[in-house]
This record gives sequence, structure tokens and C-alpha cells, in this order.
Amino acid sequence: MAIIRYPNWPWSDVSTALEDFERARRQMDRLVSAFTGQGSAPVVSGVFPALVVKENGDKIIVEAELPGINPQDLDINVHGNTLILSGERKPDKVEDASYHRRERKWGSFRKAITLPDEVSPDAVQAECKNGVLTIVLPKAEQVKPKKIAIKSE
Amino acid sequence: MIEKDLQIPEKKEVQSGAESTRNAPVFIPAVDILETEHELSLLADMPGVPIENVDIDLEGDQLTIRGTVPRQDGPGRVLLKEYAVGDYYRQFTLSNDIDREKIQATIKDGVLKLVLPKSEAVKPRRIEVKAS
Repeated sequence: MAIIRYPNWPWSDVSTALEDFERARRQMDRLVSAFTGQGSAPVVSGVFPALVVKENGDKIIVEAELPGINPQDLDINVHGNTLILSGERKPDKVEDASYHRRERKWGSFRKAITLPDEVSPDAVQAECKNGVLTIVLPKAEQVKPKKIAIKSE
Repeated sequence: MIEKDLQIPEKKEVQSGAESTRNAPVFIPAVDILETEHELSLLADMPGVPIENVDIDLEGDQLTIRGTVPRQDGPGRVLLKEYAVGDYYRQFTLSNDIDREKIQATIKDGVLKLVLPKSEAVKPRRIEVKAS
């Protein structure tokens, strides 16, 4: 194991070393969770909402957990291979109440994500069930895998 | 109203001695607890939990909320995974006397709402100060 010396021992070097260490730790976490497929998933973009994107044949499925968001306050846009999700979570209106705990957050959000393929915007379907949004995006005709028949004489 | 950007809520896993038999992580749901004159309301974010999978238990002054997410590993290859799906579990100790018969639970858009009406005996009373 190599020992790195800090000749003048300025604090800036120490903090860079700590940053390096932190980055290595994060990479390690990501590696471990990639292998085990368990635990808290690494947040890639850091923009609300967290998404799960799946590919199933000629469809791309995007899922997001959006508890307490009225489907009417949700906006889904598709441009080519970009999906834009925007909306707002409104605070609950309660009169004359005192809070013991307030952990649930509210506010607005806007997130763009690049899909692996172009999709046909007219055939996109979205469903909100129990606070989980599922968007099914069929791939565009031109990018769908085509099976080529071989003619034999 | 001030425009505020929503942040990704950090899902905290339950740290307890007893392990779940299901191979799924168990998370602590974010809750709001608010008190009005007549009742105590509890709101918990539990996305993906259908009403029939919510289990509410009041034993003594210990309130337990449990929500299980139906396993739905649909076909397909995962390209991006920014969050993990798991069950929800949280326990509270209630300080007020609750009228157990009148507890109501509803779930809407993945938010569990529990209304716990206070029993008559503990409702605050206004005390008149008489001047002699």
C-alpha cells in the first residue's frame, strides 16, 4: 500500500484527500449495490422524481414514486427521445392544526431524461396507481428491431 | 406561495433486530402528524401500497403501521434504477387517549391517512375563571 505524504500539511490537501476518499467510498457503494441489487439504489441524477427505467422488447417503461400527487397536477411531455416530467405536489390544507411531525415535502419539480431510443409520442400511455406512475413508451417504428426473412430458391 | 423545488426523499431503511422474511428492504415512511382539537391525524407516504396491504395495529399506546408492496418484477431489462422498492414499517407511541372504535384509515395516491379521534375524557376543556 502506497503512503502519500503531504509535505507542507496544508489543510486544503487534507480536504482533497478526504474528497478522494469519499469518492472512492461512493464508487464502492455503487459497486456493491450493483452486485447485490439490494439496499438503497444509487441516485444518479439527483433530480426529483427518482426513476426506474426498463426496456421490454419494443417498449420502454418508466416508473416513478409520486405519493400525494394528483394525476391532474402532472405533466408528461415527449420530444424525440427526451421525456420531460413536471408537476407539483401541493401541501395539504389543514386548518387550526398543530404539527407534531412534518417530514413530507411539497413543491414543484421538472425532470428531463434521455431515453435509449426514439419513441412514438402518440402511443405513449401513462397510469398512476397507488402513487406510482408508470409510463409505457413504445419505440418508434424506425428503431424497432426488424426480422429479415431470407429467401431461398 | 413560494416556489419550491422538490428533492428526492432519502429512503431510510428500518434498523431493527427482527428481520423480515421477505427478501425486500423495509423503509421508514415519511409522516406528518397533526393535532386538532378533536383528533390526531397521521399522513404517511407509502407509494405502491394498495389499501388491502396496509396493516394498522394499536396495542396499548403503541401504534404500528405496516405496508407491503406487491412484488411486481415485470419482464424487461432494468436500464436505470434510482430508487429501491420495498415495504414500509413504522411505530409510534401515542400520548393521548384515542377513541379506538372511531379510528379511520384511507389511502389516496399512495398516501395513508389515519384519523385518530381523541376520546371524550381528554378533549381540552376551556376553564372558566370566575371572578369573585
